[in-house]
Amino acid sequence: MSTILKIFIFPAALIISCLGVNTILGGHITPGGGFQGGAIIAGAFIFGAVIYGLKDTPIKFSHDFMARMESAGALAYVFLGLAGLIFSGFYLYNLGVDLYGIIPEFIKTIFDYPDPINAGIIPYLNFVVGIKVMVGLSAVVIAFLGFKKEFDDEEDLEEIE
Amino acid sequence: MTFYAGPVILGFLMGFIMGSRIKFNPESGLNFTTGSYILIIIAALVAAYLIGPFPYYIDVPLASGFLSAIVGIFIGKVVLGRDIKDDNDNNTE
Repeated sequence: MSTILKIFIFPAALIISCLGVNTILGGHITPGGGFQGGAIIAGAFIFGAVIYGLKDTPIKFSHDFMARMESAGALAYVFLGLAGLIFSGFYLYNLGVDLYGIIPEFIKTIFDYPDPINAGIIPYLNFVVGIKVMVGLSAVVIAFLGFKKEFDDEEDLEEIE
Repeated sequence: MTFYAGPVILGFLMGFIMGSRIKFNPESGLNFTTGSYILIIIAALVAAYLIGPFPYYIDVPLASGFLSAIVGIFIGKVVLGRDIKDDNDNNTE
C-alpha cells in the first residue's frame, strides 16, 4: 500500500473508533446503538488490517482477546436479564426505570444510567452488544485475511512445482 | 453545572479496551511520533465539537463520550499497549 495511506489510516482508525463509541453511547437517544457502533469500531480495525496487513496492523485483536470480549459481552447481557428476573420477575426488566414500581429504590439507583434521560439498563445493553459486535465482525475479517494468506501460499507452492 | 457521568465512564472504558490492543510491530517500519499523537488529539477535539452533545445533554457543548473514548485509547495504549517485542502474546496469528 502507498505511504500516504500508511500515514493516514492509523490516526483515522482511532477517530473512527471514537465515533463508534459515541454511536454506542447515544443508542438510547439517537439513531445507532450497540450493533451500529460495534460495526463502526470493527470498520476501524478492518481499515488497518487491510492497509497494513494482518501482521503489521497497529490495532491487534488476538484470539484470546476476542474470545474474552465475546464471552464477557454475552455474559453481561444475560446477567442484566437475570437481574431483572430476580428482582422483578421479568427477564430483562428495566431495573433502572422501574415502570411498574415493583423493585426497591436502591436497586433502581444501582441500575440507573447517570444521564438526563434516565434510560435504565438500555445503555448498558448497548455497551455489551457493542463489544460483542466489535470482536465478532473483526473475527470474520481476520479469518478471511488469514484464509487469503494460506490460499496465496498454496498458489505460490503450485507455481514452484 | 450538571455533569453526566454515564457517557464519560462507558466511553473511557470502551476506549481503554481499544487502546490496550494498540501494539506496534517494530518490523513494520511504522513510526508515529509524539507530534502525530498531539495532532490526533486536536482532530478529536474538533470532531467532538462539531458532533456536539447528544440531545437533552446540557453539560458541555462537546460529544463527551467521543472525548472520553480518545482519552481512554491513549491511556489504554500507555498502560497496557506494549509493543510486540515486549509481548509474548502472538496477536492475530
